[in-house]
Amino acid sequence: MSAPERPRIAGRPMPLIDGPEKVRGSAKYTADLPSEDALVGRILRAPVDHARLMSVDTAEALALEGVRAVITGADCDTPYGVIPIAMNEYPMARETIRYRGEPVAAVAAVDAATAEKALGLIRLHFKELPAVFTTREARAPDAVQLHSKKPGNLEREVHHCFGDVSAGMAEADLVREASFHCAEVNHAQMEPHAALAEYDAERDHLTLWSVSQVPFYVHLTLARCLSMDSARIRVVKPFVGGGFGSRTETLNFEIIAALLARAARGKVRLCLSREETFLTHRGRPESDVYLKIGMSKAGRITAVECEVEMAGGAYAGYGLVSILYAGALLHGIYALENVRYDGYRVYTNRPPCGAMRGHGTVDVRHAFECLLDRMARELGLDPFALRRANLLQAPMFTANDLMVNSCGLQTCLDKVEKASGWRARRGKLPPGRGLGMACSHYVSGAAKPVHWTGEPHAVVNLKLDFDGSVTVLTGAADIGQGSTTMVALAAAEILSVDMSRIRVISNDSAVTPKDNGSYSSRVTFMVGNATIRAAEALRDKLIDAAAEKLEADPADILCQGETFSVRGSQQSMLSFQEVVTAALAREGTITCKGTFSTPLKAQGGKHRGGAVGSTMGFSYAAEVVEVSVDEATGQISVDKVWAALDCGFAINPLAVEGQIEGSVWMGMGQALSEETRFVGGLAAHANLLDYRVPTAVESPDIKVFIVESIDPLGPFGAKEAGEGALSGFPPALVNAVADAIGLDSDVLPMTPDRVLEALIKARRAAARRRIA
Amino acid sequence: MKRLVRFEINGREVEDAVSDNTLLVDYLRQSRHLSGTKQGCDGGECGACTVLIDGVPRLACITLTASLDGAHIETIEGQVRNGRLSALQRAFHQQLGTQCGFCTPGMIMAAEGLLRQTPDPDDAQIRAALGGNLCRCTGYGKIVAAVKAAAKGDTTVSGADLARTAGAGS
Amino acid sequence: MSAPLPEFTLLHPHDVDAALAAAKAHPEARFVAGGTDLLVNMRHGIGAPDTLISLSRIKALRRISATDDGLFIGAGVTLAELARHPVLRHYEAIRDAACVVAGPSHRNAATLGGNLCLDTRCLYYNQSDWWRHSNGYCLKYRGEICHVAPRGKRCRAAFCGDMAPALMVHGARIELATADGTRHLPLEAFYLEDGAAHLVLAPDEIVTGVYLPPNDADSARSAYTKIRIRQAIDFPLAGVALACDPVAEGLRFRLAFTGTNARPVLVDLPEALDSGANDATRDDYFNGLEKLVQRSVSPQRTTTTQPHYRRLAVAAMARRLAVGLAAGSAAGSAAG
Repeated sequence: MSAPERPRIAGRPMPLIDGPEKVRGSAKYTADLPSEDALVGRILRAPVDHARLMSVDTAEALALEGVRAVITGADCDTPYGVIPIAMNEYPMARETIRYRGEPVAAVAAVDAATAEKALGLIRLHFKELPAVFTTREARAPDAVQLHSKKPGNLEREVHHCFGDVSAGMAEADLVREASFHCAEVNHAQMEPHAALAEYDAERDHLTLWSVSQVPFYVHLTLARCLSMDSARIRVVKPFVGGGFGSRTETLNFEIIAALLARAARGKVRLCLSREETFLTHRGRPESDVYLKIGMSKAGRITAVECEVEMAGGAYAGYGLVSILYAGALLHGIYALENVRYDGYRVYTNRPPCGAMRGHGTVDVRHAFECLLDRMARELGLDPFALRRANLLQAPMFTANDLMVNSCGLQTCLDKVEKASGWRARRGKLPPGRGLGMACSHYVSGAAKPVHWTGEPHAVVNLKLDFDGSVTVLTGAADIGQGSTTMVALAAAEILSVDMSRIRVISNDSAVTPKDNGSYSSRVTFMVGNATIRAAEALRDKLIDAAAEKLEADPADILCQGETFSVRGSQQSMLSFQEVVTAALAREGTITCKGTFSTPLKAQGGKHRGGAVGSTMGFSYAAEVVEVSVDEATGQISVDKVWAALDCGFAINPLAVEGQIEGSVWMGMGQALSEETRFVGGLAAHANLLDYRVPTAVESPDIKVFIVESIDPLGPFGAKEAGEGALSGFPPALVNAVADAIGLDSDVLPMTPDRVLEALIKARRAAARRRIA
Repeated sequence: MKRLVRFEINGREVEDAVSDNTLLVDYLRQSRHLSGTKQGCDGGECGACTVLIDGVPRLACITLTASLDGAHIETIEGQVRNGRLSALQRAFHQQLGTQCGFCTPGMIMAAEGLLRQTPDPDDAQIRAALGGNLCRCTGYGKIVAAVKAAAKGDTTVSGADLARTAGAGS
Repeated sequence: MSAPLPEFTLLHPHDVDAALAAAKAHPEARFVAGGTDLLVNMRHGIGAPDTLISLSRIKALRRISATDDGLFIGAGVTLAELARHPVLRHYEAIRDAACVVAGPSHRNAATLGGNLCLDTRCLYYNQSDWWRHSNGYCLKYRGEICHVAPRGKRCRAAFCGDMAPALMVHGARIELATADGTRHLPLEAFYLEDGAAHLVLAPDEIVTGVYLPPNDADSARSAYTKIRIRQAIDFPLAGVALACDPVAEGLRFRLAFTGTNARPVLVDLPEALDSGANDATRDDYFNGLEKLVQRSVSPQRTTTTQPHYRRLAVAAMARRLAVGLAAGSAAGSAAG
C-alpha cells in the first residue's frame, strides 16, 4: 500500500467521459436502439382501483391480423419483488387488480396502430372491490384487505427503542411535538420507461436492454419470472436518462417485454408513455410524521419519539426498507441517546411506492429540522447554535449501532452560515423575506446487501493489453450521476496514467462483472474502492515487470506520470509502454480484479431490521435558503440557496457539485410544487403539466461548498454526494418561510394555495385572539 | 395519406413521402434515424424534442412533418461541424450542463435558438428561453453557466469551492 | 414512438377563401394553426377529424397593421412575434400576456387566433383516452355527465387562454370570416359560458384577426398577470388583465379574467377612482374592486388547485395591478 498522499488526478474537476456523446445527441438510450425489425409492445392497464379479476379474454385480439403475441397474468405465475422476503407482485395482475393502471395484459404487434387496436379487443371480466387510498382508510377496522396474511393492510410495522426515552423526556427543559404531512412525490426522470427484448428461439436465449439502475436485479428477476436459466439471459443497460430511484427494482414492463419477446419468438420494443411511466410509480410515499423532541435549555436533545405512517401503494417493493430507513436515519446526524420509533407501512390501492433519492429519510428529516427550529425559537437559540449543540463526534457508533467514521457537518455549518450572511441578515430582512436553515445526511451504500450470498459488494475487472490501453469493466450503472467517470478517475489515479488510456465498459452482463446497482449511494464508496483495488493489483504487476527490467526491488520502483523509475535514481526510467510490453511478455493480456466487502461492524445492530441504515459512511449537509413570500397570492420564491456537503473527498468536484445542486433542487421541487394527485385511485398528475417539476425560471442560484472530511474507509476518503443534500431543503424552506412571515407549516409541498389557506387561518386565529 | 415533402435537415436536402399524421419527432427518430431528438412526454410538456425550424426553437412532438415543406430543420446531430462540437455542445460538456443527457439535445437547441437572436444573454434571458425545457438532474445552474460560457467563448472547466479539511474528525 | 395520431388529410390552403372552401367541402374538418393545443388534444385521443386545414400558409393572416383607426393583428401572428412587436408598446397587457403563454417554443408556433380559440381545460378532460375511459367519459367529449358538477347539465371546463382578457380590456373586436363574408364582434361576445361549446364560431368560420382601438402614451395603461405555480409552461390557474383609462372623473378600470370560467370574463368597473381621492378613499375603492372580482369570477374544480384559492388570488392580483397602474398614472400625470 502506498503512503496516503494527496491524489493527483482524482480531485480535479473532470467533465464526464461520456459527455461528448450526450451533447452530440449520439448517446443511445433504450428507445434509441435500432429496432426496425422489432414488434411494438403495448400494455393493457386496469381501469379500476381494486377488483377480483375473473378472466381476460384475448381471443379476438389474437385473431387480429398483425398481432404476434398476447399475454396475460396467466403467463407468469411467479411473484417478484426486490426484497426476497417480500415478493408479492406479478408482472400482470392475476386474480386481483390492486391499483388503477396495473398491467393486466400485453400485446406485441407489427405496428403501433395494430397494437393499439388489439388492446381494445381484449375483454376483461372483473368484480369490483371496495378500495382504500389513505392510511386511515386502509387501517380502518372494516377495511378491505389488499393482501392475504396482511391484516389491517400493514405491510410492515417497526418498533424500535434505544436508550431510555421516558427518562430523556423527563430530563428535558422543553418538550414539543408536531405532526407533519408530506405528499407523495415521483422521480419524474426525463426519460420515460422503455425496454427492448430479443428472444432467440433457436438457442432459447433472451437479451433485454432496459433503463434500469439495477441490471443485475433485472437479470435475476427475468430468470425467476420466465423460469429460464440465468445463463441464457443477457441484460444490457444503454445510456439511462435519469433514475433517482425509479429504476432501483425490476419493473413490470421489463418482465412484460421479455415475456412478449418469448411469446412472439422475436424482438419487442416496449416504450411507455409519460403517463404509463407515472403509473409505474415507485416514488416517495405520502407520509405522516409525528415527532416529539425533548431538549435542554442549552438546546441539547435529550429524547426523541417519532411515529411514521406511509401510504405505500398496492405492492411491497422496497416498502419494508423505506419504513426501516425512516427510523434508522433519525440517527447518525446528531448525538442522540434516547430514541423511540414506530413505523407503519400501509398498503393502499394506488401505484406502488419505492425508493426515491434520499430514500426513507426525507420526510422524517423534514419534520425533525422543522421542529428543531421551532424549539430553538422558544428557547431563544440560534438555529445554527442548536445544531452545533448536538453534533456527534466521529468516530463513533450511534445508539442503533450505525458506524460513523467521519463527519464534516461542523464545517458545513460554518460554510453556509458565513456565506449566507446569516448572523447579519437573519431576522433583519424586509417584510416577506426570510432565511432558513437545516441539516441532513445520507448513507454511502447499504452495508448489508439485499441478497446475502456472501459475495463481495462490488467487483471491478481491468484489462491491460498490447495497445497500452486500460479497459475497466464494471457493472456500476451510470444513470447520469457520473459513476463511469468516477471509475476512470480512480483507475487513472492509482495507475498514474493519463485519462485517455482508460476506457470504461459498463453494464453488459455478457462482459462486465455483476454489480448490485446504482442505489443507496453505494457506487462511489463500493465500486470506487473495488476499482482502486483492481488498479493496485494491475499496478503491482507493472511494478514487478519494471523491477525485473530495472534490476531493482519492486519496493523501490516509483510509478508516476506514466513512467517507472527506481527511487533515488535518475538514470533508468521506463515508459508506460515499455513496462506494458515487459509485463505482457510474462503472461499475455493482463486481467486484474478488485473487490470490496463491508466489514461486519459496519453492517448494523443485531435488532430486527438493524441492517437497514447501516453504511460505510454518512455524507453530511447544511443549507441555508432565502425566500420571498407574496402574502397576497401565497407564492413563495426561492431567491438563493447556500449548500455545503461533506462528501469525504470529491473524486470529481465537478460531478459532486452537480450532484449537490441537483439534489438540493429536487428537494425544492418536493418543497414547493411537486405532488401526485389522484381522483380516487386514478392518477390525475400523470403528465409533466400537472406534476410540476420546477422550470429554469423559478429555480434559484445554488452556491455550493464541498467539504472533505476524508473518510478512513472511503476511496481516497470519499463518501456519497448525490442524496445527502436533498432532505435539508424542504425544512430549510419551511424555516425560511417562518422567518419571512411568521407562518409555521406542517404540510408539504408549500403550494401557493396551501400557504394562502394557512395565512388566512392564522389571520383569523389572530383576530379571535384580539377579540378574546 | 402520404405526400411528397421537400425540406432541408441539418443542411441536407431531403425529399420524402410522409404521412399527413406523422409527427416530426417520430419522423426524425424513425425515418431519419436522428434519435438525438428525444421524447420525454406525451405532447408539449417537457421540451426534450426541441429542434430548430427555420432557425426558431419548436417542439417536434406537436409539429406535423407534412406541414414543413420548404423548411430548414436543424437537430442536435447537425450541430457538430467538421467533427468538432459547437460552442454550446462544448460548454454543456465542460460545465456539466449535462448529467443523464436526456434533456440535453432539446436544451442545446433551445439555447442555440436564443444565442442566434441574443448573442450575449443575461441569466434571466437564458432562464426564460429555457423555461419550456425541463431538466431533472442539474437544477439548471450549470446549464445557465454553460449557455453563458458558450456565449462568451469560455472553454474552461468550472470548479467548486472546496473546503479541504483533510483529517478533520468532525 | 408516439401513440399514433388518427389518420387525417392535411390541407394547406394559401388564402382565406380556399380555407373556407375546404371547410365547406370537409364538414368534419378542423382548422389548425400552430397546433400547440389541437395536436396535444389529438395525441390524447380527443377528436379524430378526417381533415385538418392548416392556416399556416395564409399570408394575410400574418399581417399586423397600424392605422389612425387603431391596430389590426392577424390571427396567424405567432405569440413570439407579438411579444416583441413594437406596435404593442402601448398595449402592455397584450404584450405581457404574449410573453407568458406556455413555454418559449410553444410561443414560436402558437398563434393569436389559436390562443383565442383555445379549447377549454379540465382535470377530467385533458387526460389520455385510457384515463377518460377508465373514469367514465365526460359531457365535454363522449360522455353524459360533468365530473366537476355531476348534477349540472353544463360543462364547467375553464377557458385558459392568456390573450383574450388582455385584448378585451383594450376593447378588441374580433374578425370572423365565412364564405358569405366577414363579421366583427366585441371579443367578449365571441365566448359563451359553456365549456363544451364556448365559442360562437361556426364550423366553417375562421378567426382572421382582431382590431384594437388606438391607444397611446396618454390613454389607457394596462397589464396582465397570471396565477400559476411554476413561472413557465403552466396554464393560468387564473389570470387577470386590467386597463386603466384616464377619464374626466379620474381613472376608469376595466378588468378581464381567464382560467376562472368557461369563458373569459369582462368586468367594467362602474365607478371611477377619483383622482383627488385621499388614501383611505383609495383603499376603499381598491377593496371594493377586490371584492367585486371575487364575486365576478366562478372558478370550479377543474384543476387540482382549489377554486377558492384561485378566486382569492386572482382578486388580490387584480387589486395589485390596479394599485400599480393607478400609481403609475398619477406619477405620469404629475410628471406631465
